[in-house]
Amino acid sequence: MYSTIISGAFMGIHAFLVSVEVDISPGLPTFQMVGSLSCEVRESKERVWAALKNAGLDIPPTHITVNLSPADLKKEGTALDLPIAVAMLEALEYFPAAATKNVLFLGELSLNGEIKRVRGVLPIVGEAAKQGLKECVVPLENAAEGAAISGIAVRGVRNIGELLQFLCVAPADRKKLLPAHRISTEKLFGRRAAWEGNDFAQVSGQESAKRAALIAAAGFHNLLLVGPPGTGKSMIARRIPGIMPPLTLEESLEVTCVASVAGTLKEEQPLVTARPFQSPHHTISQAALTGGGSVPRPGVISLAHRGVLFLDELPEFQRNVLDSMRQPLEEHIVSVARANANVSYPADFMLVCAMNPCPCGYYPDRNQCRCTQMQVKRYMSKVSGPILDRIDLCVELHAVDILSLQSSSPQDSSEKLQGRVETAREIQKRRFVGTKYRFNGDIEGGEVERYCVLGKKEQKCMEELYASLKLSARAYHRILKVARTIADLAGEDVINTGHLLEAACYRPVREYWI
Amino acid sequence: MKEKENYYAYWLYSLPGIGVKTIDRLLRICQSPSEIYAASDELLKRVLGEKQLISLREAKSVWRLQEEYEELKKRKLGFVWRGSGEYPERLYHIPDAPFALFYRGRLPENHSPSVAIVGARDCSRYGSYVAQELGRYLGEQGVSVISGMARGIDGISQEAALKAGGISYGVLGCGADICYPPSNRRLYEELIEKGGVLSVYLPGTPPLSRNFPPRNRIVSGLADAVVVIEARSRSGTLITVDMALEQGKEVYVVPGRVTDRLSDGCNRLLKQGAGVFLSPQDFVEELRELKERQKGNKNPDVGKCGKPVVTKEQENQIRKGKHLLSEELQSVYMLLNFEPQSIEEISSLLPKPLSASEVSVILMRLCMEGYAVQVSPGCFCTGNRDSS
Repeated sequence: MYSTIISGAFMGIHAFLVSVEVDISPGLPTFQMVGSLSCEVRESKERVWAALKNAGLDIPPTHITVNLSPADLKKEGTALDLPIAVAMLEALEYFPAAATKNVLFLGELSLNGEIKRVRGVLPIVGEAAKQGLKECVVPLENAAEGAAISGIAVRGVRNIGELLQFLCVAPADRKKLLPAHRISTEKLFGRRAAWEGNDFAQVSGQESAKRAALIAAAGFHNLLLVGPPGTGKSMIARRIPGIMPPLTLEESLEVTCVASVAGTLKEEQPLVTARPFQSPHHTISQAALTGGGSVPRPGVISLAHRGVLFLDELPEFQRNVLDSMRQPLEEHIVSVARANANVSYPADFMLVCAMNPCPCGYYPDRNQCRCTQMQVKRYMSKVSGPILDRIDLCVELHAVDILSLQSSSPQDSSEKLQGRVETAREIQKRRFVGTKYRFNGDIEGGEVERYCVLGKKEQKCMEELYASLKLSARAYHRILKVARTIADLAGEDVINTGHLLEAACYRPVREYWI
Repeated sequence: MKEKENYYAYWLYSLPGIGVKTIDRLLRICQSPSEIYAASDELLKRVLGEKQLISLREAKSVWRLQEEYEELKKRKLGFVWRGSGEYPERLYHIPDAPFALFYRGRLPENHSPSVAIVGARDCSRYGSYVAQELGRYLGEQGVSVISGMARGIDGISQEAALKAGGISYGVLGCGADICYPPSNRRLYEELIEKGGVLSVYLPGTPPLSRNFPPRNRIVSGLADAVVVIEARSRSGTLITVDMALEQGKEVYVVPGRVTDRLSDGCNRLLKQGAGVFLSPQDFVEELRELKERQKGNKNPDVGKCGKPVVTKEQENQIRKGKHLLSEELQSVYMLLNFEPQSIEEISSLLPKPLSASEVSVILMRLCMEGYAVQVSPGCFCTGNRDSS
């Protein structure tokens, strides 16, 4: 007796369909599984066996062979438990073979027959829809996640018994038994206000840092905050996702895919609708940051895709860890090459870094800081040049005096700032129609001049800046990009000298501290 | 003959375990280094201990007098000792005078005026500005600058003096053939070319921290007066001042703000009665008077007031600035000083409130013209005179 069931697995964030074949024939009672399996999949044999037994289903002592095809692709995860069980039941003729035709199954089995949540439902269901499948059965806890894909009916099941009942009834009654899960994307996107509890209005003083954060959010520029402890560096960083333009559905699906594969998706939040904010501790390993492991998993930079990656205490990070971000920062994709797999994850994030200006944190306030120039220099040089090169804006924070803390002058709220960012975003959207760019921060070196056109007066200003500030070519382009964003924020088509000068003020230069 | 004596002096000075004090005692029983070399063990025993005697005997057996000295010359190192004619005259008069000196370049001239400038290594912009101005003026006036070639005030003042065409001498706390700190390599080369680098330590001595305080007595000893620019209350610079006072040198101090920890030591010295440094011009004039007085001449004119540290050119610049800058730029420019100030601070001090971004635009414009300097991403100071 032979049966085949459709299921899916993923590699990186790319899913592929897997057909689960089961052959049951008389002979010595064995249970064999083949098809390039990882150890979790290999273990599923025991789970399936026990789950079926405990669900009250009788598996006769026969020769059982399970094959997962394509047999040359490595399969991992526990989502193949359920399809194996279904295939066995079908081979044992518990229900007609037609019942599972063109239905995709996913789910982990518990020994008592319950079906538990799995990783990667969204990309697999997405792939199934792309391949023209119309129906899939997933664990109930993952149903909402799968339902984000349109054009495919996603049904959530709790346990084997429920599923068996579903497969046994006539096709017409199926819908009644397990209605397809529906989510309202409008409703999900509706309860927004990402700045709730993290409002910029709570940050008093630090005008230039807030201004830089606004510019960074508007143009998706990488930002470096420098300042003594307790001046609000992390406070500002934490509020940046709240003023970035809201995620579009397309972006949200990308972000949710990564979260789904990484297993960080929450049940009550089937779609990620807020911009991600990741702030790893500085002891993070390279594999945790960029993704990896012998079975590749997305790293923190991929979880920060379309959002903010905040690295607090930048010089404390291991140098090789920071340097591993160089390629993703350029290409917005991180490739993880392993002996048995070569996967890539999206990594289009905005890098926000914070650091103290010296080991004690108070330089250049010589009344408090007694670090020698050498110490300051050494501390600064822990941040490698290539990383600094990829930062567009750098801003310094200073201790806020008590007066401005107490003053009740109204601060710009996140809502207001987000409005300004969205206006700038619209302008950029129009500018980059038909190109690969999305924000000013994405513009590559060679094309900066195409998008950041300068008038005669402005060109002269740039020349003077170039000479007086001893700029490098890269710094020159960075200033242009930032100036473009500043002009967009002001709603102006043409970059003027004011925009250029302000952008120049935020340029990150290594020599500052040396 | 003279040259020969040098061989012996070098041998004597490089004996391990025998310091300047022992050499002095040896010279009391023998007349010259060569006599010490030739002296019998009985005679030496009167001064030397058992171990010292052994080390002297050993050194005698391996040390090839002429070759070693030639080797020194080959390495472009000069050697003077108290008995040689070139030994700086000023050093004869200081307590604890070194027995010998190694040098590269030249030795300070005996009668030309010279000033020691000492101060904090991690100086503020104010300190570095004053050091630069003083060094430059002294260089122009032909007064040599003596300092320790350290980071901060030392190096800045020496560099400025050399740049202005003056002469400067660096006294090192390591061997004269070693450049410390390595970041001052250019200054080191330039000093050798235009002035000199000297050290009481044997060539090849690494920069040990215990060697630095003693060299300060040479710094002050070679100078007619000492100027202190920025010193914390427990600064190493104060050691130099103590030594200078012990040597009977005049000490001038650049006053600092009372809130400035970097000037605590300076202000304390002022309270104790040190000379007040008002401007390079004023200081050099006082120095001249001092010299006259030392020569025994009566000082004719008394009662002149000090000029402010802001130079003529700077005043011109301010006036020019006033003239050229628009009202907005002017109002921001007037707020700048040598203390790094943040954009927020500046905007809070402005008569007319401006937003942070407006202020940063104005500041960058001032930077571009050389009226301001961006010292760190968010801090600005008045511009360098040079860059305008």
